[in-house]
Amino acid sequence: MTFRFIHASDLHIGRKFANIPQPPDGNIRGRLMEARHGAITKLAQAARDRGAAHVLLAGDTFDTATPSPAVVRQALTAMGEAPEVTWWILPGNHDNLRDAEPLWDVISRDAPTNLRALTDAAAIEMAEGITLLPCPVAYRAGASDPSAPLDHMQSPEGHLRIGLAHGGVTDFTESGDAIAPDRDRRAGLDYLALGDWHGRMAVSERVHYCGTPEQDRFKHGQRGVCLTVDIAGPGAIPKVEEIETGSFLWSEAELALHPRQDAAAALNALLPTTGRRDHLLRVTARGWAGLPDRADLARAAETCAPDFAHFDLVTDALATQYEAGDLDEIDRGGALRLAAEALVSEAESETLSQAERDVAADALARLHAYVQGAKT
Amino acid sequence: MKIRAITLNNVRRFTDPAQVVGIGDGINVLSEPNEHGKSTLFDAIQALFFKPFGSRDKDVAALRPHAGGAPEVTVEVETDEGRFSIFKRWFQKPLATVHRSGTLIAQADEAEAWIAQLLGGDASGPSGLIWVRQGMTALTGGSGKEEKLALEARRDLMTSVGAEVEAMTGGRRMDKALAQCRDELAHYATATGRPRTGGPWKEAQDQVEELSAEHDHLASTARELHDALAERQRARRALAELEAPDVVEERRQKLEMTRAAHAAATRHAEEVETLARAMDLARLNAESATTRLDSYRAAEAEQKAALSEETRARQATDAARSALAERRTALEAAEVSAQEARTALQTAEDQRRRAQRAVAAREGADRRRALEARIKEAEEARRRMETAAAAARSGPDTAALQRLEALSAELSASRAARDATATQVIVHYASGSSGVIHGDDGPLADGTALPLPRSTTLRIDGIGSLEIHPAASGQEDGSVEAATAKLQTALDQIGAANLTEARAATAARAEAAARQGEAKAVLASLAPNGIYALHQELAAIPTPTTETDAPDIETAENALQAAQSHHEACRIIRETAAEALADAKADAARSDALLTSLTDRLQRAEAQQAKLGDVAEEDLATQTVTAAAALEAARLAHAEKAKDAPDAASLQAALTRAESVETQARDEIARLRPLLARLSERITRASGDAVEERLAETQEQLQAAEDKLARITHEVAVLTRLEAALQDARNEARERYFTPIVKELKPLLQLLWPDAELTWGEESLLPHALIRGGREEPIDVLSGGTQEQVALLVRLAFARMLARAGRIVPVILDDALVFTDDDRIERMFDALHRQAGDMQIIVLTCRQRAFRALGGQALRLQMVKE
Repeated sequence: MTFRFIHASDLHIGRKFANIPQPPDGNIRGRLMEARHGAITKLAQAARDRGAAHVLLAGDTFDTATPSPAVVRQALTAMGEAPEVTWWILPGNHDNLRDAEPLWDVISRDAPTNLRALTDAAAIEMAEGITLLPCPVAYRAGASDPSAPLDHMQSPEGHLRIGLAHGGVTDFTESGDAIAPDRDRRAGLDYLALGDWHGRMAVSERVHYCGTPEQDRFKHGQRGVCLTVDIAGPGAIPKVEEIETGSFLWSEAELALHPRQDAAAALNALLPTTGRRDHLLRVTARGWAGLPDRADLARAAETCAPDFAHFDLVTDALATQYEAGDLDEIDRGGALRLAAEALVSEAESETLSQAERDVAADALARLHAYVQGAKT
Repeated sequence: MKIRAITLNNVRRFTDPAQVVGIGDGINVLSEPNEHGKSTLFDAIQALFFKPFGSRDKDVAALRPHAGGAPEVTVEVETDEGRFSIFKRWFQKPLATVHRSGTLIAQADEAEAWIAQLLGGDASGPSGLIWVRQGMTALTGGSGKEEKLALEARRDLMTSVGAEVEAMTGGRRMDKALAQCRDELAHYATATGRPRTGGPWKEAQDQVEELSAEHDHLASTARELHDALAERQRARRALAELEAPDVVEERRQKLEMTRAAHAAATRHAEEVETLARAMDLARLNAESATTRLDSYRAAEAEQKAALSEETRARQATDAARSALAERRTALEAAEVSAQEARTALQTAEDQRRRAQRAVAAREGADRRRALEARIKEAEEARRRMETAAAAARSGPDTAALQRLEALSAELSASRAARDATATQVIVHYASGSSGVIHGDDGPLADGTALPLPRSTTLRIDGIGSLEIHPAASGQEDGSVEAATAKLQTALDQIGAANLTEARAATAARAEAAARQGEAKAVLASLAPNGIYALHQELAAIPTPTTETDAPDIETAENALQAAQSHHEACRIIRETAAEALADAKADAARSDALLTSLTDRLQRAEAQQAKLGDVAEEDLATQTVTAAAALEAARLAHAEKAKDAPDAASLQAALTRAESVETQARDEIARLRPLLARLSERITRASGDAVEERLAETQEQLQAAEDKLARITHEVAVLTRLEAALQDARNEARERYFTPIVKELKPLLQLLWPDAELTWGEESLLPHALIRGGREEPIDVLSGGTQEQVALLVRLAFARMLARAGRIVPVILDDALVFTDDDRIERMFDALHRQAGDMQIIVLTCRQRAFRALGGQALRLQMVKE
């Protein structure tokens, strides 16, 4: 008999997105927050659609250790409103056991009956013949592999062993808290459900990061997903399927420019034609552009920005190429030309700091814009 | 072009032709009083160059004489092409012609065109720049049209060497860009570059500040929450450990056990203490008995020793006293003999003194006689010297005599000269009649020439007189009389009748001087230090005494020596006796003192013995032995008890520890319970406030605000940089535009003001301020003198620029320096000369005196002679 469950993590309910600039008439932050809460419904729906009775949440269900009561209560209520699904919730680093002690107190007191908080690192039988081995995170920053206890967790003979842990597989900080990628073999697991990484990543056949069901950063370039996992029996290779749950697409695009190219046209060619309202896009321009091209590019970005949930054009890496013609457009001689030449030499100076060069370059672009504006 | 000659006809007061010729290169000065037609000349030249021959306007009309007629002006100019004569006549038969070497090359409109060409193809010409009409001392002024023309001329000139000012400074486009930039900047910042209140920059700064504060606050709250959570966990664990029942029971048992052990130890210790006290008492008794016995024995020994010593001392004292008496007697005897010896010595000394005096008196009488004789001789010598000195001062000295000799010689010479030229009469008497002819000085000698310097009457005996009048031009000039008078005067001065007498007097004087010298030498040998010194010496010799019974000196000396040696012997005996007495006294005193102290000691020893009372030595010894035995018994009892005493200190420590463990546990429990309650309350409250959530939000907001502030700060920097770049460029462009004129002007300005500079107006193309010593003074507030100097220098500089542009134009100045003082005018002349090198400057002035110093070619406005 095949056992099927949903693997999700990093819901980060309560995240406020104060880093996304709020347009004067927009409500993007509210929409993003709402989408996070909506992930619960999407997961319940996915479970129903696939006939799965269990949803494993591998940590960071809440964004902070002390979410506001409304956030907690509404999340619990939403889970309770899917009574045919059992929610298994693991404390992650954001809602770790120590910092979020009151949160877990509230959950164990007020949670609906179909919700199980996994605050003890002890094997638990989640269904007949199925043992869940949870590794709750005790501290925000631990110094050891959070999945290490799995090796010593016992399960009845013939049971499926499903591990649930939260942390990175790559030790970025060299603090020794990374999860060993071969933990499944060491601990004799049939499946290890991991959380913490917001993108989808298959570490091995039995070890998977599902990623967050609703993206919150540009990094991954894909809508959020959850996984349905089918395990035919002890020792069988699990069958893993992605189900798209994200409402918003966060993506990054690179715009490589070279001089005498129509920069505005290049930008427009890069932009998607549909779904802009639910799209957060960051375009990073690189290479070289002439003064007029820069002005055109800035205008084009201004024009298309309101279409998107969020649009950001980053030109830090775009260098300006000055041509004699550009300066001629400012003036062929006289004081304006003198000013422009002074700024060019400052922008191209090798003795000045980058910040000073940038100031000079931008001042030149501005002068160009003024003079062009005066002509039209 | 250079002007060489100007001819006027029918121009104002010049109804007849008048002209200025010979105008050269460099400076030319026409210096005439007022009303001599300088301004007429200026206007005529102006009209010739700038008024068409057909013109009838008021400027031309003003040239006509009162009587009317057609004004005619001819100017001869020299250009690179050669020399031309330009002629114009207005009103009647108006005409313009240009001749070259007498050949007509252009006339009428063609002539006008030729003139325009000459002036550089420019209708107005540069005259406004460099031709200065009388009274026009400022750079501006004149009619509006003139000003406009002048401005255009300046602009043409500046533009021809530079570029269009508009093109240089960027003009309207620059203004617009600068205005836009400043506009945008003003949105963010104040004029001083500070964030503007209410502006987005300030707003972003405030927001960052506000969010940082909030973030810090929330972070600290969150930290407190975490700390509280950690503390609660620790407190719970600690409390559970303290309150576990087995732990409580263990603590209680341990405490009881240590308490019992401690009580037993305390009792034992008290018993040991009692025994120790008994032992101490026994030791005291034993010690006291031993001490008493020792004291008794010591007192007895002391009394014996003191008594024997005292007896010995008493004997020694008696001996010392008798020795003292003996010595005293000896001393008295020695003193008596010493006194006698002293008296004898005095007598011997008196005797010797008298003998010495007698010898001295005998020796003194001889010296006195010799000295008295010497004084007498010296006084005689001095008298002789004084007499001779008086004689040596009278009579003429050698110099006076020489002068007399010279005068006498002079007289002889003049007499000889006179006689040589005078009419001479020589008589040759007939025999027998010798001496019948008498002159003024007696009869004339035969055959001897008698000179007759003046009219002389010769008396001839028996015949009458003969008057002889020599010719008028003879040598009778009175020189002989004068020489005679001079000689006589010199003789009178020295009181001599004639030269011979004077010579004798001089010799007498010399002889007296010799005598004086001799007497002086004698005096010096007798009394080298003066006669007074001799008198003193004399006074020093003692007067002889009348003592007759003085003893013989040798006998006296011998007696004295004997008395002295006797006296010395007596003295030594006396001193020895005194010393012996002193020693005896000291010995006696020492013996006395020793005796006294020994008597005391004996008394003390006896008193000590009395104090011990009436006890026997045997009783004391018995007591000592008994006490020692009792002490030994007590010591044994104490040692026995102390040997098996429990360790009271460690038992006490164990008890203290057990008690403190119990107390600590109770205190800790009492502390932990309310602490836990407080922490739980705090945690509940903080987690209800969603601190973490708000902190995360604030952190993101802060990041966003900081990014925004960075963007705005960058924007402000960009705008500030752009504004500076534009402003700098405009200043630089303006500077470049004015560089040629500034360069020409600089050496001129420095003649007047060593480090002065001018700033230039962009619109007027004229200087608008003078910078001296770092201070900027607008031109129109400068004094009239300074203004006109600046104006003139600027014109000269423009003229130089024109010349460099290949357009040499004469500079004509009609009384251009009105207000300038003498000192400055000199320096202005230097400026004119400096500029005049390859140019032509024509100065018209009525200030004849002031301009005399200018130098240059002087011009005359004169009538043309028909």
